Amino acid sequence: MAEKEYERLTRARPRARFAVISSGNSSLWLGKDHLLCIDTNGYTENYKRFYFRDIQAFLIRKTPRYKWWSVVTGLLAAGFLLPIAFSTEVWLQYIFGVVGGLFSLIFVINLALGPSSACQLRTAVQLEELPSLNRLRRTRKELDRLRPLLVAAQGALPPEEIFSRVREFPGSETSSASGASDVTSGAVEDSNVPPRII
Amino acid sequence: MSLSLLLCPKCNGPLPESAINRPDLTPCPVCASPLQVEIFPALFRRAAVGRDGEAVLVETESTCFYHPQKKAVLPCEACGRFLCVLCDCELHGKHYCPACLEVGRKKRKIKSLETERTLYDSLALSLAVLPLLMFYLTFITAPAALYMALRYWNAPRSIVHRSKIRLVLAITFASLQIIGWVIAIYFIITKNHG
Repeated sequence: MAEKEYERLTRARPRARFAVISSGNSSLWLGKDHLLCIDTNGYTENYKRFYFRDIQAFLIRKTPRYKWWSVVTGLLAAGFLLPIAFSTEVWLQYIFGVVGGLFSLIFVINLALGPSSACQLRTAVQLEELPSLNRLRRTRKELDRLRPLLVAAQGALPPEEIFSRVREFPGSETSSASGASDVTSGAVEDSNVPPRII
Repeated sequence: MSLSLLLCPKCNGPLPESAINRPDLTPCPVCASPLQVEIFPALFRRAAVGRDGEAVLVETESTCFYHPQKKAVLPCEACGRFLCVLCDCELHGKHYCPACLEVGRKKRKIKSLETERTLYDSLALSLAVLPLLMFYLTFITAPAALYMALRYWNAPRSIVHRSKIRLVLAITFASLQIIGWVIAIYFIITKNHG
């Protein structure tokens, strides 16, 4: 049997955040020398390749979506399951039981998947959102898998050298020069900042 | 100290050096959003300076097909045209001229340049299954689904591994619908004439 060219890293996840009928899904695949991001609407596929030698950084942000989903689905599950105890109508108990059970299932799945996150991949010319890496645990797992491949393609830098290079970096600012203000200023007015694709 | 080229994805604030390559989450100093930043040596790589073709000094020297005043350095591996360093497009260790690269992309001869594919197997299956909700539509859609499945049997499917199961199912469903219509029409005709 022929060897598969791509290995699945993540399942397809919707690009739109609150999509019920999704406009498109995104999945991540591992190639020989690149990451492949596939965006599909079911009938066409769009491909984006990120070569290991070009990947500069991964930015992972923990999002509050996990907490909100837990609260909302937990409340809905309780809201449907509690009235069963006070109801004498059997058909009502069935309906409330089924709906409450569905919300309980979503609640448990959300808890099992763990904290949610948003992941961005940065290269010299783009900043790409990776919607399929939407859980912190999965993102870290895939990052652990990718790290040796990126190191093999780009070479490894010891931590102390990374920090010394960061200091030498043209874009870096010294805290003594800008003080705390650069940290609290928010938006950065830097013409060297590459365009952000969000 | 902050690495201003790396910005917080939420507030666009500069990220501190202390947030880089940590195994755990570090709060953004501006918005307190928990972040993990992993950087790689490519971040420090300087962009290569663009090359310029070398001018021809001796008349007998081979020249670039696209720039007759520039010295040729190698031939295109697809068409054999002589190329200067400016026209040399390297892709996975092979050298092409811009025209061959464009043709390869358009005709899908170079897989690594493909950016889009149509999933004819999914289209055929949808065409065979979805109209079942309004069965009379299958009079038209079943032959269309069968045609599409057979027409694109050998067409490239998804770039990642994908079997022909959708095409097989589309042919099966479409054939059953066509057989159903044939039987229904036969009964209507024989009933009217009988």
